[in-house]
Amino acid sequence: MIDWLTPETLNLLAHGVAVTIVLTLITSASSFVVGVVIGTLRLTDNRPLRLGAGAFVEVFRNIPALIQIIFWAFAFPSLFPQAARQAIFFDNAVVNWLGAVTGLSLPYYAVAACIGLVLNTSAHLAELFRAGVGTIPKEHVDAARTLGAGRRAVFWAILLPGGVRAAFPAITTRLIHNMKNTALVSFVAVPDLFHAVQGSITRSFRAIEFLTLAAVLYLLLAAAMSVLLRQIDIRLHRGRGRVRTG
Amino acid sequence: MSEQADFLLRNLPNLLIGLPGHRPGGLLMSLLLAVVGVGIGFAVAIVVGSAHTSRSRAVRWVAAGYVQVFRGVPLILLLLIVHQLLGSATVLGVVSTPLLSAFIALVLYSSSYQADIIYTGLRTVPTNLVDDARLMGSTRWEVYGHTKLPYSLRVMQPALTGQAITLFKDTSVVVILGVADLTTSARIVLGSDVTNAPYWVATYLTVGLLYFVVAFGLSRVARRGEKRLQRADLVHSLAKLG
Repeated sequence: MIDWLTPETLNLLAHGVAVTIVLTLITSASSFVVGVVIGTLRLTDNRPLRLGAGAFVEVFRNIPALIQIIFWAFAFPSLFPQAARQAIFFDNAVVNWLGAVTGLSLPYYAVAACIGLVLNTSAHLAELFRAGVGTIPKEHVDAARTLGAGRRAVFWAILLPGGVRAAFPAITTRLIHNMKNTALVSFVAVPDLFHAVQGSITRSFRAIEFLTLAAVLYLLLAAAMSVLLRQIDIRLHRGRGRVRTG
Repeated sequence: MSEQADFLLRNLPNLLIGLPGHRPGGLLMSLLLAVVGVGIGFAVAIVVGSAHTSRSRAVRWVAAGYVQVFRGVPLILLLLIVHQLLGSATVLGVVSTPLLSAFIALVLYSSSYQADIIYTGLRTVPTNLVDDARLMGSTRWEVYGHTKLPYSLRVMQPALTGQAITLFKDTSVVVILGVADLTTSARIVLGSDVTNAPYWVATYLTVGLLYFVVAFGLSRVARRGEKRLQRADLVHSLAKLG
């Protein structure tokens, strides 16, 4: 019945799914951390830091992810002289180790793709986190300061958890968008799910079957992510009701 | 350095309005794709978003399914699927081309996002507003057309413009179908010629700058417009009161 799904293509697709999942995990976690840091810098009293963080957000948010990925993968290395390029990007201990661990033939392209995705997604997340912090009642911060809490304590106990909690539904949407954006890494020869599907099509000429399968797999990944992040969201809100009514 | 400037200057028209023989292309094509995707997508989204609030469960499910499917699939994959399904078919008397496939995929994609926004907006309409309109003798359709939909569009306007700007950036992936937009033009300009390697950085920085200027500029203009609108708007004061 499903004669187009040979063991060979099945293997290719399985690897593709694995790469997509790993890429999603790495870029989601990194973007979250970078996003929170940049979002926090946008709220500091230090003017240069604030403006720098603002520029980061506007630049990396307003340039398409695809352009950023291609830039870091293909354009950026050409800034270095030919002789040094090979040693810096494609043939050194770190890159070779990465290649051996991941099985990628050109690990730098995967790193570049991650940089592009993380810059883009973290710029969006920074803005969401900042908006989340904005919903925290000023009285909470004032009360904590009055009780003698330092600026660090206010950040860790109020601004960080409160901002993340308020922004989490929007963060979820953005992280799922980021998962879909990982399909763009196939442009720089990273063997993700989308790349595997394109490869399977050129081998079998069964385009519509593989494209539909890919759509189903991406929908499943999006659904899985939304369930997972919903669990985190519920956990973030655990005990909140009691505090409020107590 | 002057070689870089020379290369860029020579190719700037190609990036802005497309390569000779492929016009409109470049940035102009990116804008065209976004305008069609957002414009037709908006009309579709009003139908789908409203259907999502229907009293019929079947209609609600179809609308929700539409949003889930077209929003859950990467745009780049949607482009390939639409192009594959159309093949060399004739749609409404037009022989299908990569450009037509791109338009259709962008409409499907953009409408699913916009439908979800409109659906959210429709659900935030205060119930007393609807009840009052019903008491005054309006039919359900009149309440929908005169009260709920205008209210929802006004409240959701910032989200809709944000989505429109996002779609403009997302059009860059039509490069997979070879539609001659800004991203594709950059790739053609650079070619596979190794001698062009020194121009990669400058070209992609220029392309990034062009996307940035349009997207950032539009978001600034939109925000200014919203502020002015909100200052003297009954709907917004109602929305704030909740």
